[in-house]
Amino acid sequence: MNENNPIPPLMPPGERAAVPPSIPPLPGNRPLGEDPAEQATLPHTFAAIEALLRQPRRLMFQMRQPGAGKLIGGMLFAALLCAAVYGVVAGTFSGGTQLWAAPVKIAAGLFISATICLPSLYIFTCLSGSQARLSEVCGLLAGLLMLMTILLVGFAPVAWIFSQSTNSIWWMGFLHLMFWFVATIFGVRFMKSGFSHTNAKSHAGLNVWIIIFLLVAVQMTTALRPILGQSESFFPKEKQFFVGHWFDSAKQLEAENNVRARN
Amino acid sequence: MTDVTTITPRSLRQFLAAAPEAFYGWMVGKPLNLVLFCVVAVVAGAGSYGAVMGSWRDPLQAVYTGIKLPLVMLLTTLGNGLLNGMLAPLLGLNLTFRQSFTAVLISFAVTSIVLGALSPVALFIVCNTPPLATGTTMKSPEYAVLQLTLAMFVAVAGVIGNVRLLPLLRQWSGGTGAGLHVLLAWLAVNLFLGSQISWVLRPFIWEANRPVAFLGADCFQGSFFETVYNAVGRLMAS
Repeated sequence: MNENNPIPPLMPPGERAAVPPSIPPLPGNRPLGEDPAEQATLPHTFAAIEALLRQPRRLMFQMRQPGAGKLIGGMLFAALLCAAVYGVVAGTFSGGTQLWAAPVKIAAGLFISATICLPSLYIFTCLSGSQARLSEVCGLLAGLLMLMTILLVGFAPVAWIFSQSTNSIWWMGFLHLMFWFVATIFGVRFMKSGFSHTNAKSHAGLNVWIIIFLLVAVQMTTALRPILGQSESFFPKEKQFFVGHWFDSAKQLEAENNVRARN
Repeated sequence: MTDVTTITPRSLRQFLAAAPEAFYGWMVGKPLNLVLFCVVAVVAGAGSYGAVMGSWRDPLQAVYTGIKLPLVMLLTTLGNGLLNGMLAPLLGLNLTFRQSFTAVLISFAVTSIVLGALSPVALFIVCNTPPLATGTTMKSPEYAVLQLTLAMFVAVAGVIGNVRLLPLLRQWSGGTGAGLHVLLAWLAVNLFLGSQISWVLRPFIWEANRPVAFLGADCFQGSFFETVYNAVGRLMAS
């Protein structure tokens, strides 16, 4: 996150050609809102997306202001929409019912994971000595989800190309997990930088929560399977832990490779 | 010498020798002109190199590869445009989506110009390679040498294109490490998508036991990385 390198204001046109938009290094934990640019309100969700990418401190400041609920709601809606868009792309691998089932499962899975983990996030935040209110914690979580999902939309053209080329569910699953993991890294960076402004004495609680969130989200992909392949039912008929599911998929891949080698 | 005051590149020399300030001036001055310049450079440079690649097989293959090689670069730039535009600010570089797109396009344009310049050398190599005969297979040494040499030229041009972009990104990031991080991130995602687009658009030189065609028989079968993974698996098994 460019937390330590806030984006400078635009330069006058006359100076543009000679001076590229360098980002001046600034001291780390300045109080939010110190820069007047950070105090500018975010009129709509697109501005929030723009701020999340370029001026994360502005978004963090706005999430602390009274009436931030509307902003957080807009961010959650954007995350839901982006997750659904990525889900449609994931669904093109199998087509048919997966065109609607995959976006529903991906969007719902992400939001259920976040809801399940929200109480523990708030408790860990309080335990670390943070002064953040619940609304602010919700805002940081909304920021994590929005950043994750808009990055997933960025990955969508790549995922689409691969889903049209390969027949291997194992490979596509690995690819989607990889994209999700990269997107999560950036989302977590945003959350951590926001957390550092809440007077927390330690990040240990947040780090533990991140591991919990990752495990819940990965298990969710198994609980809501199949997200990629075809199935007679919307939900799986048997319960399975994600590690077991991955082992089964790896065995399936090995069997596919053996058949291919024999042919 | 580079003229910082011009708002659009006027010659190949000016484009290739441009300082970061000049690139930035072009980006904010007449960005559409810069994009057009880059697209023309990609089509002409990569197109001519592609034509040379395909000419070993057949004149029609030369036409097809001359179209496909620039297409790989342009589709990669377009496909990753959104992602590259997000990665730049997230890694600390204040670029808009349009500027990120143009910066990547500049890199591909430089690569293509280098490829275009290497086309006569590549043609010389193609002319000196034994022609495709009924006995030629995918494992024939002449084909392997041709394939490796042509791929090496692409690799060299790619390195030059990216190295050209580095000072630009470094200066934009105010001398911090953000420029290098952004370049590496762009490189990773562009290589990832570019490899698969190339895989879909193959063959570039020749497909055994098949007539000349724009796309291969199994263009949407498998992926580049699966093939590499399976090949490594076979090697380990043997």
